[in-house]
Amino acid sequence: MVRRPVVKKEYSLGERVYLVEIAKGLGLTWKHFVFNVKASFRKGPHTVPTCWQYPEDRREIAPIFRGAHMLQLNDKGQELCVGCGMCARACPAKCITVKRGKPAKGEEDKYAGKTMCVSFEIDILRCIFCGLCEKSCPKNALVLGQDYELADYEPEHCIYDKDRLIANFHRARSEGLLKPPPVPIPVEAPPAKKKIAQKGDEKKGSSGKASVKGGKKSASNRKGEA
Amino acid sequence: MADWQIDLIKVVFIWTWALLIAVVMTWVERRASAMMQDRVGPNRAGPFGLLQPLADGIKLFTKEDIIPKRARKILFILGPPLFAIPAFSTYAVVPFGDKIVIGGKEIILQVSDVNIGFLYILALSAIAVYGMVIGGWASNSKYSILGGLRATAQLISYEIPMGLALLTIVLLYGTFSLREIVLQQQGTFLGVLPNWGFFKQPLGFIIFLVAAYAEANRVPFDLPECESELVTGYHTEYGSMRLGLYLFGEYVNLGTLAAVTVSLFFGGWGLPYIDMSKFLGPISYGIASFLVFFVKQAFFLFLFVWVRWTVPRFRYDQLMGLGWKALIPLGLINLFITALLVQLTV
Repeated sequence: MVRRPVVKKEYSLGERVYLVEIAKGLGLTWKHFVFNVKASFRKGPHTVPTCWQYPEDRREIAPIFRGAHMLQLNDKGQELCVGCGMCARACPAKCITVKRGKPAKGEEDKYAGKTMCVSFEIDILRCIFCGLCEKSCPKNALVLGQDYELADYEPEHCIYDKDRLIANFHRARSEGLLKPPPVPIPVEAPPAKKKIAQKGDEKKGSSGKASVKGGKKSASNRKGEA
Repeated sequence: MADWQIDLIKVVFIWTWALLIAVVMTWVERRASAMMQDRVGPNRAGPFGLLQPLADGIKLFTKEDIIPKRARKILFILGPPLFAIPAFSTYAVVPFGDKIVIGGKEIILQVSDVNIGFLYILALSAIAVYGMVIGGWASNSKYSILGGLRATAQLISYEIPMGLALLTIVLLYGTFSLREIVLQQQGTFLGVLPNWGFFKQPLGFIIFLVAAYAEANRVPFDLPECESELVTGYHTEYGSMRLGLYLFGEYVNLGTLAAVTVSLFFGGWGLPYIDMSKFLGPISYGIASFLVFFVKQAFFLFLFVWVRWTVPRFRYDQLMGLGWKALIPLGLINLFITALLVQLTV
């Protein structure tokens, strides 16, 4: 590394007297002061320009935010959960326990599916809010909502049972904060990709029986090069 | 009312006034600094956080009062009052208004019109440094002693320019009494400018102001405290209300210095160009003169805060260099010119 020589700045007399520079600095601080004082008299939320006054001001949350869990009901008020336990299996933190059962006689119309969950517990202290349970749910029954103030004084209160999860859903519905239904991911094999894959195969001269995975990989590699 | 009763009322008034200014200043300092730095500042206790000083006071009262094991106990206890009392006492000679006539009795709005008010201020401001030095030395801590030492060195290099600047004022007005000086500053001179010390002694004012910042241990000259180098300097080992007294005394000191600046250089209670006593009643004139004085004082108090959040701290040798190599020669030249002018005109 080449070291550049230290050049001492030559100060003019005005700069050396220092008072003019202090006056300039005072002007700068005054600008900030006036701006912030004016802003603090503004009406409405978010009055302080530099920060959010949390309990009063709250940021808007994206509709796909992953907050407190809830168990959804359908339009008829039936529970969607069938107690399949996919969420429990998908959960990397292992915080979900589901017990599957059959609805009691005469209560079939309370549930959307043929089976239901007898108990559904989520240990919110262990949950990492990754959203895999939500993704894995085949009936779109388990959803992560918008509530993010989950602190409590008792650890026992942080284990959400079925009632609480359904209550979460009711509250979100009354506040109009329900999650939009997931947009189905289009399942299609884009034709352009196939073409490239074929080209790659031709160039390599490999047999067409290459595993799907390998083919895909090479295709993506091709794409990157192009 | 007897005279002593009036005096007592004045003493109590100025005492509470000094306290009130100190309390509000702690709030102003924190809020204004926040505004200048694009922060929010304390805004939870009361409206606009106005009760924050009260909350701080209660907190300091409930803290444990710790005296370090190897500290010199008597001196350690003596430090904070020694620092705060001179700050309060200086208010005694500050004329905070002209006069108020109640029941045919003329009351001068000044606790006592000492004819050597000037020397009194200089003497007391020099005593205040003992509070710091003794507190710093008695705490038996390296940071404290360094803070105290710096306070001493700072005092020596700043009392002299300050004295020189004040001497020019004395030469100009020919009196040591602050009330006399303020009275002589009413009206205009050269036809346009208010008859203020600031316009007659601009250099003296600048020297005095710089020295006042050093006197009050404010940024850019807060080397005795210097929280980034010396933790908090001379009051590092203090806690509870002893620390509170130090912090409080500092703000009282600010109020005093602002009041002295206003009386010496900015015409005290007088408005420029307007003689209030002509169209105001005797009582309302007294109150108005006090308010004018307060507005001017408030500006200088705000300037203390304003400068604090604009200018970074000076290095120690820079501070000494400024005091000895710039301010003292300037003060001497200023004194010489003033003396010459006074001699030629009178």
